[in-house]
Amino acid sequence: MSSSVIWALVLKDWRLHRTLIALSIACGAIALAIFQVKSEIAFLLGAVWFFIALIVLGSVLPGSNVINERKKQNLAFLMSLPVSATQYAMAKLVSTLGLFLIPWTTLVIAASTLILSRPGTPNGIIPVMLILFGLPLVGFCIIAGAALIGETEGWNMAATLVCNSWYGIGWYLIIRNPAINGNLKSPVPVWNSPVLTILGGEIAAIVLMLGITIYVQSRKRDFV
Amino acid sequence: MSDLAIELDGVGKTYPYFTLENIHLEVPRGQIMGLIGPNGAGKSTTIRILLGLVHQDRGDVRVLGHRMPAEQVAAKWDIGFASEDMRLYESMTIEWHMGFIRSIYPKWDAPYAQTLLKRFGLRAEQKIKGLSHGQRVKATLLLVLARRPKLLVLDEPTTGLDPVARHEVLKELTAVMTDEGRSVLFSSHNTQDVEQISDRITFIDRGRIIDSMDKEAYLDRWRRLRLEVPLGISLPALPGIIGIRQAGRLAVATANAFAPDMANAYESSGARVHSIETMTLEEIFVANVERSREEEVEA
Repeated sequence: MSSSVIWALVLKDWRLHRTLIALSIACGAIALAIFQVKSEIAFLLGAVWFFIALIVLGSVLPGSNVINERKKQNLAFLMSLPVSATQYAMAKLVSTLGLFLIPWTTLVIAASTLILSRPGTPNGIIPVMLILFGLPLVGFCIIAGAALIGETEGWNMAATLVCNSWYGIGWYLIIRNPAINGNLKSPVPVWNSPVLTILGGEIAAIVLMLGITIYVQSRKRDFV
Repeated sequence: MSDLAIELDGVGKTYPYFTLENIHLEVPRGQIMGLIGPNGAGKSTTIRILLGLVHQDRGDVRVLGHRMPAEQVAAKWDIGFASEDMRLYESMTIEWHMGFIRSIYPKWDAPYAQTLLKRFGLRAEQKIKGLSHGQRVKATLLLVLARRPKLLVLDEPTTGLDPVARHEVLKELTAVMTDEGRSVLFSSHNTQDVEQISDRITFIDRGRIIDSMDKEAYLDRWRRLRLEVPLGISLPALPGIIGIRQAGRLAVATANAFAPDMANAYESSGARVHSIETMTLEEIFVANVERSREEEVEA
């Protein structure tokens, strides 16, 4: 019975946010269309807009899906349903993650297909692409975790600020790393130690953040 | 199965600036309990504890036979909860909310929901943000009542309503409560609303239950005696008199266990009884709170 309630809560979030998701996919698609124009400026502009679409979604979604429910006093309504605080938190985690992963996956697959189908694009770019696409996902998980744990706009804003400040630095350090950029033009993907370490770090950060979120939520005693 | 819909035994919760102390509260199945207290008395905290939304630090809570908060999911299938600070999704319609609740509750009574829509003058296609406060309260109650819960928990549902909306809401609640199997806990600081629909009354103040009794017994036992006290006469201390206020020769004695021979006792002492008046629930509530606070100060 409870799993059906959790599913109903997830579907409810999906219905409430489908416009936001459609908009972010549309923005990402426009960025990819610009990206297709054969000029260096269009390439850069498209790439920047593409990442902005993902970063903005990753920053806005936790606030809209998690914080607003508390701020707009919908939480008492939801908690009157046959669901425990932990189950509600699980539903919220699943819906928030799902709502981000749908546009993220769609746009990442579309971008990868477009880039790799360009004539003369070396496969050596694939590891860097994976690392770069992973950063907005890591940032989103940190912001979503902070929103779920902190339950306040302050926590959400602080996490957003920290993550958004680090994207630029992160990308710069990755692109400047000779062990990574040295293989960009390789005809085959090079999965060397720095690449695997960064990818592993991204996966570990995601798992750690989700784990902490679930653990803290399950120990909360007062919910409303 | 226990005959009690709600059972709180020695329940306590400590916050930095507020403590809910040793709450004992019993609501028999099929009864309507009015929980009256001033703002900040602990009504909402008590209600949140019995719904499992806040975990008590001390004591045992059972709702419809389920231990709370451990068994809150099982209990909440049969609880309908509405509170003054509960809000629906502003950008969505009443119909969307009805569909959402219907997808969760197999017992959702669609014909009754349609009846309530008409009775409350609501339109299903209306968005919540376009509704007045009164309409929002009615929409929330509709979503709660059409689930056909065994226990209704209403935390200040009539706060902020205009007299007409309040009357409509109370009329519907009274109709709902004719179902003898349904239990209700109704909290408010508006004693008139509680007096209108409750079987039993519990007064709460500063985190403590100060009295709990059958409503008729309250109204029956509490009296105000207006006395004239000649100079040199002192009024005797009578059991059941909880306070005497005197200004010159006129005195008012408040009884919480009135007995007809009280008047005789005052007359025998030399005082003259001008009148014996019944008290409204609001007057009883205020007198009870004042007495409790005086006792607290003395202690």
